[in-house]
Amino acid sequence: MPTFIRPILLCILLSSLVCFSSCEKKEYVYGIEDQTIRPVNSEKNKPKTSMQYISILYTNLFRKVMSPNELLEAQRAIESIGDKQIAYDILVSKFISNPEVVVPSNDEMRSEPEKFIRDLYTRFFIRQPTEAELNWLINYLKKHPGVTAEQFYFAFATSNEHFHY
Amino acid sequence: MKRREFIKKSTLVAGGIAGFPYILPSGIVNAQTSPPMAEHVVFVLFAGGVRQQESVLQRYLADSQPNEVNKIEGNILYNLLKGDPPTEKIAYGIDDQSNQIIGATPINPILSQPLDQIGTLFPEVRFSKGGAGHFNGLSTGFTGNYFVSQGLKKRPPSPTLFEYLRRYAGFKSSDCWYVGLDIGGSRPLLNYSDHEAFGRNYGGNFIAPMTTFGRVGKKYFQDFKNYHPEEEMPPIREIRNFLNNNYAAQGLEIPNLNPTEEEDYFIKKFVEDTFHKVENNGIIMPPVSDNSDLQTIGYSVEVLRYFKPKVMVVDMATIDVCHGSFTDYLKNLHRADHAVGFLWREIQNIPGMANNTTLIVMPEHGRDETPNSIQDINDWYAYDHSGNNENVRRIFTLMCGPGIDAGLRVGSESTPKGDASDIVPTIADIFGIRQQVENAGLLDANAQSLFRRI
Repeated sequence: MPTFIRPILLCILLSSLVCFSSCEKKEYVYGIEDQTIRPVNSEKNKPKTSMQYISILYTNLFRKVMSPNELLEAQRAIESIGDKQIAYDILVSKFISNPEVVVPSNDEMRSEPEKFIRDLYTRFFIRQPTEAELNWLINYLKKHPGVTAEQFYFAFATSNEHFHY
Repeated sequence: MKRREFIKKSTLVAGGIAGFPYILPSGIVNAQTSPPMAEHVVFVLFAGGVRQQESVLQRYLADSQPNEVNKIEGNILYNLLKGDPPTEKIAYGIDDQSNQIIGATPINPILSQPLDQIGTLFPEVRFSKGGAGHFNGLSTGFTGNYFVSQGLKKRPPSPTLFEYLRRYAGFKSSDCWYVGLDIGGSRPLLNYSDHEAFGRNYGGNFIAPMTTFGRVGKKYFQDFKNYHPEEEMPPIREIRNFLNNNYAAQGLEIPNLNPTEEEDYFIKKFVEDTFHKVENNGIIMPPVSDNSDLQTIGYSVEVLRYFKPKVMVVDMATIDVCHGSFTDYLKNLHRADHAVGFLWREIQNIPGMANNTTLIVMPEHGRDETPNSIQDINDWYAYDHSGNNENVRRIFTLMCGPGIDAGLRVGSESTPKGDASDIVPTIADIFGIRQQVENAGLLDANAQSLFRRI
């Protein structure tokens, strides 16, 4: 390397060091705190007791309050079966087959699917569905011409969200 | 879905898993150490609190009632034990209605040979720790552990035999059944524990048939709609799975025992079919079925016929009337013997279970040596199980089935052999998973397989 080049390279190196060491990364701070996004039903994380579940189920289906004696009897029946999903499935299907429980007809369900789904969410989950939930269920209903309103009622009544508060 | 198809599929799966180590859904590698001695185990908690004096010692009234005229000995458990029945003061049988004599006619034996002659009897076993309460006793039988401070309405803190068997032997939920006399106390909570490494996903099915198929069951369950598994249930499952999405991820579920879809359907079908049988008087009850223990045993046989479970526990409790009536205690003790005789006879009539089932019988605890002050219609004194005496700790264990010595007695009053906590390691031994159960380190220090006490 020619000797005159060395001082030039040294100057370039020094000036580069000065330049880069003076650069600072700018961080912008906004007045918004980090948020964890949770599903809309995440607040309902406490299981209902069998008595709470039966009582609310009965009210949601029959639109009237269950008598204390009947509630105790139904609770005893539930306690006699160890797998509670199976026990509740049996109880719900027994209730739904009762003529006092008014389930919309399949024609009503298909003529106003959005209203049907919104009513289910209000009745069983005490909330409105999200757009994603609404779209998925309306699409499901449209794609499955054989699915009945009773099957929707059964699925909602025996779902985990209905069991939690 | 046809049950035959389901059974065929299940058999193929079972056949596949029997010969090879396999990975369970939990990810735990099963390492069954030895082939099972029997394919099925039925464990009878001969419960309610049984005194040695009226059971294995065959003393009838001789050791219980003070008056000299009551010094009458005899065996009232003649399906379980060899021995001649009492010849005087017969009060344990069926009532003579016409002459108004209580318990005058003993029930005929069901078995041609008592079980102690075809199996092994441990006549002096000890319920060694804690208070002699029913639920301490039941939970010790279920877990192989003692919970001296366990309150009512609580699940046991350490795993039940169902959880060990489902986890280490790969049993399905419908392979494991607990048929309870009723839903009192902690009974409905004994099908799985609170233990964080085991618990609900390894639990056994519980049913209290006198309630399920009794008055309240009829009102709330009978004529329910069991949705067809291939036509009606798939959309329900799809919608429910969508609704359950984020709950299942967090383990927030309606408490279930993790059954397969087929098991779910057939358990409901069993309930449906049994209601039809009840309506048509189609439940085959023991020849005498005049108490709830005997009727529960009738339903237990229905469970055995339907599911052929790998393991079933059934408990009886009417013997506990001894708190207030010694006569009724003798009657119910005699009926509990009748129930076990019927159970063993029916097992031998079930294809697949005949000659392939081990039966274990053990009271959950004993009763006091001295009576309380209550006298019954015969002026006989009643007995509690109040604790603080050795008599409440004295129990027996009887087992029979494939590979079990016939006519063997192990231990005596002076050299007791066996502990109430032995049943879980014994059943684990029968199914070839004793080592894994012992390695889990959750059994009582005294617990040992009865096969290792011989």
